[in-house]
Amino acid sequence: MLEIKDLKAEIEGKKILNGINLVINPGEVHAIMGPNGAGKSTLSAVLAGRADYTVTGGEVTLNGKDLLELSPEDRAREGVFLAFQYPVEIPGVSTTNFLKTAINEKRKYHGQEPMEATDFLKFMREKMEQMEMDKSLTSRSLNEGFSGGEKKRNEVFQMAMLEPTLAILDETDSGLDIDALKLVSNGVNKLRSPERSFVVITHYQRLLDYIVPDFVHVLYKGRIVKSGDASLAKELEAKGYDWIKEEVEANAQ
Amino acid sequence: MLLETLKNDFNQYKAQAEKGSFLELREQAFAEFEGLGFPTTKHEEWKYTNLKQITEGKFNTTCIINPEVKTLVNSLVYATLKANLLVFVNGTFVSELSIVIEADNAIAIGSLAAMRHTHKETFEKHFGKYASNQNQALTALNTALLSDGAFVHVAPNKTVANPIIILNITDASELNVLAQPRNLIVVDANSTATIVEAYHATGTNASFINVVTETYVGENAHLEHYKIQQQAGESYQTNFNQIFQEGNTNINHVTLTLDGTMVRNNLHYFMNGQNSNSLLYGLYITDTNDFVDNHTRVDHAKPNCFSDEKYKGILKDKSTAVFNGKIMVHLDAQKTNAYQRNQNILLSDDATINTKPQLEIFADDVKCTHGATIGQMNEEQMFYLRSRGIPENEARKLLLNAFADDIAEKIKIPELVALLEQQIDQKL
Repeated sequence: MLEIKDLKAEIEGKKILNGINLVINPGEVHAIMGPNGAGKSTLSAVLAGRADYTVTGGEVTLNGKDLLELSPEDRAREGVFLAFQYPVEIPGVSTTNFLKTAINEKRKYHGQEPMEATDFLKFMREKMEQMEMDKSLTSRSLNEGFSGGEKKRNEVFQMAMLEPTLAILDETDSGLDIDALKLVSNGVNKLRSPERSFVVITHYQRLLDYIVPDFVHVLYKGRIVKSGDASLAKELEAKGYDWIKEEVEANAQ
Repeated sequence: MLLETLKNDFNQYKAQAEKGSFLELREQAFAEFEGLGFPTTKHEEWKYTNLKQITEGKFNTTCIINPEVKTLVNSLVYATLKANLLVFVNGTFVSELSIVIEADNAIAIGSLAAMRHTHKETFEKHFGKYASNQNQALTALNTALLSDGAFVHVAPNKTVANPIIILNITDASELNVLAQPRNLIVVDANSTATIVEAYHATGTNASFINVVTETYVGENAHLEHYKIQQQAGESYQTNFNQIFQEGNTNINHVTLTLDGTMVRNNLHYFMNGQNSNSLLYGLYITDTNDFVDNHTRVDHAKPNCFSDEKYKGILKDKSTAVFNGKIMVHLDAQKTNAYQRNQNILLSDDATINTKPQLEIFADDVKCTHGATIGQMNEEQMFYLRSRGIPENEARKLLLNAFADDIAEKIKIPELVALLEQQIDQKL
């Protein structure tokens, strides 16, 4: 479904991604781990379409379409969802209004009629129950005054509402305590399906105890230097990133 | 030239006016005005506000009521609200378009020209006591040549349940018009009232309206005052509101300036007693070559008072706005809490905002902050919305509406807010 071929990207002249190759099939959960500065956030930013990054080589296709040609809103409407590491607050825009607009924009893009107001509310209530979200959430302004955990749970709730085919979780575990982590992970696990793929970007292995991946890739200096299954994450936890760095240096010689 | 017209108008007025203290007051005022002349950009307070279009123009004080005006009044939301409605056309009270549903012995709502006689005691106690003519050319001019305006007196311990709407229409369909309404609002101790001061214009000629309002708020009273300026066409407005508030009072003042070629608002609060709260909120949305200038002043003269000011602007095309907020904390005003923010979004490279906070603090145990921001759209918020599938234009509108509605929602009349939010949306 998602094919990344030799992707290179930089920001303000600094090279960050130096040739990423990755294939993600429907229903698969891929974890991307790596030390700080490896390029994890850059990868998610480039996939989501942030303007400050420049793609200098390679290609990314989503179901055969050139993803890099699409605007951020079109990528979303094609089924990409990015759960932000630091979700921004938007005072004055209610969560309800925001989600209704987003859903209807996607429907318009696909030539569908907008959802009726009553249908939307019913849909939202179902999803809130499924994701165990507090009722008060939806009348509040988007993320305003939310704790770190609440913001991350709100990202996963939006994912439930927007039903993407490719969900990218950008360091969703950062700033969360163990209880919040479990809640967020429960939510994500409920959304796993054969039609939906996940890219879980994380620095720590702990999240992957709860969201068990099918594949684990280690990103270092802008390249995927090692791939494996869920046990690779355990190995990293035991040995640390230095083990990978040493291996890469050794192979370079 | 306008000055000549005004001199003639005043001489004509003097010739037929009833002798007495009111005439004397007006003669002094006109003399003050003549001595000062119109303010120019050489005056610090008028640095950015060029009145040339007015001073070099030819204006008439006409009272012909066009039948179209009635249609206009009936088309406005004010005609649909359950309220006390006072309609003024070119500064003249039009009783057949007005309706007062709540007047009794304790609540007086009507025309100043009439009530200064029927409610002489209140009039003489308050008129001219708060807005000084000294060094204030436009206030002096208004005092000298006022035609009519709203008179509101709420006696102690009364609540006026329905809003009092002071609707000013300038009708410039025949000629350029000049109107000088003068409002006197007195809310005595323990009372509550809501005032809506609204401005609309019709006609293709130019209009200049010079408004002065004096507001007295007695001990423990509560006042909501909403000023909504939506004059289409070539319209110029100078609007001065002096509020004098006693202790333990609560005042919420919201100014929405959504239209007008040139609008200059001066909003002054004098906090004359302890433990009062004063709120000042404003929103201005300007386009084409429009100019909006909001000058505010809050005098914390007594201890333990709270004031909060937030003015927001959205500027398009080649429009210009000015914000000058003064906070004066007097020597005795210990434990003052005074806050001020001015936030502006510029949607074009040719739009200009001049923003200046001025804090003069003479007491030493106070908490005062001020801040001004000028920017474009918040890129992080834009990206977030777009990443959810909301296209750039829609995302921008969503954010601009949220920015503006924050102020519109300070108005506590839901039907009015709903309509204003729609009108704001259309402007963005």
